[in-house]
Amino acid sequence: MLLILLAIQFVQPARNQSAGNSEMWIASITKVPENVQAILQNSCYDCHSNNTRYPWYAAIQPGSWWMASHIKKGKEELNFDEFGNYSKRRQLSKLKAIQGSLEEQTMPLPSYLLIHRGASLSQSDQKILKLWTEDLRNKISK
Amino acid sequence: MPLALAFQPVLHTLRLIFIKIDAGKPYQNMKTIILNLVTISVLLTACNSAADKKSANSNQTTKETTDQKISESKGPVNEVLDGYLKLKNALTKDNDKDAAVAATELIKALESQNKKILNPEQAKVFADIEADAREHAEHIASNSGNIVHQREHFETLSQEIYELVKATGAGQKLYYTNCPMYNDNKGANWLSETKDVSNPYLGQAMLSCGSVKEELN
Repeated sequence: MLLILLAIQFVQPARNQSAGNSEMWIASITKVPENVQAILQNSCYDCHSNNTRYPWYAAIQPGSWWMASHIKKGKEELNFDEFGNYSKRRQLSKLKAIQGSLEEQTMPLPSYLLIHRGASLSQSDQKILKLWTEDLRNKISK
Repeated sequence: MPLALAFQPVLHTLRLIFIKIDAGKPYQNMKTIILNLVTISVLLTACNSAADKKSANSNQTTKETTDQKISESKGPVNEVLDGYLKLKNALTKDNDKDAAVAATELIKALESQNKKILNPEQAKVFADIEADAREHAEHIASNSGNIVHQREHFETLSQEIYELVKATGAGQKLYYTNCPMYNDNKGANWLSETKDVSNPYLGQAMLSCGSVKEELN
């Protein structure tokens, strides 16, 4: 048992990290206000961008496999680094989905907040994001 | 056996734990976590049998309950439309499982749509909605058990199918119906094959709420 645990430490999944933001990240199509950017960075980008801030214990197996699959799924749903590549329709759908998860408070996932206590969205964070997404929806649908 | 495979039962249980946590509030689920930790150790001692059980589970297929064809529509996108209407009817009955099954059929219909029978303008609309409509259908298909979420995706999906049949023609009589009450009175629309209102957003609670905005052919 112990041997297996030791052995799998050497089988590490590829990390979700790249230098800087991609060319098609969300700010390529719209100006993202600094306060919004800060909230996204703090609460969303770990799973919804091409750059994850890994805690030290992310390197311990089998947790890192689980984390990798989680990030993969998060990016499939919404990747702020690819937002500029989405069709207009998809961009609008994604913004609507963001608003939905803000309203129902389903994001960030409780399991993620369990580890990242600082990532939860405060009332004012939620308000800022709601206003921003609404504004962006109007802009895109014009 | 590759190491990753050997650890699949563990990963599976870990995933279950987190799904459970995500369904509720953190820390209220400590009991569940401990229970699951016990499960892990049991799983580890019986690694092989757990793997067998898992494959048995995945072999179980969802029973199809809605087999009857809703319409005999002959429009160029009739299979997409049939899938959509079946989904709509499942939601009017508050049946999340049938909705998921119908959404899966809709995904297949979108994938197998014959684009050669569409004129350039129609093909453009189809290409425009295809990916997004598919994504909404996928969410509906994977969210049996969460009809509220299914209905959120159904709203945008309805808009897209409306735009599609508006361009292609429906090949049958359709009624574009509005429910003013859904989503805190923001309202939402859907396509129906019947003039009698049968509300997919509010379901059995407010079945007849809504009014026909537009008739399509």
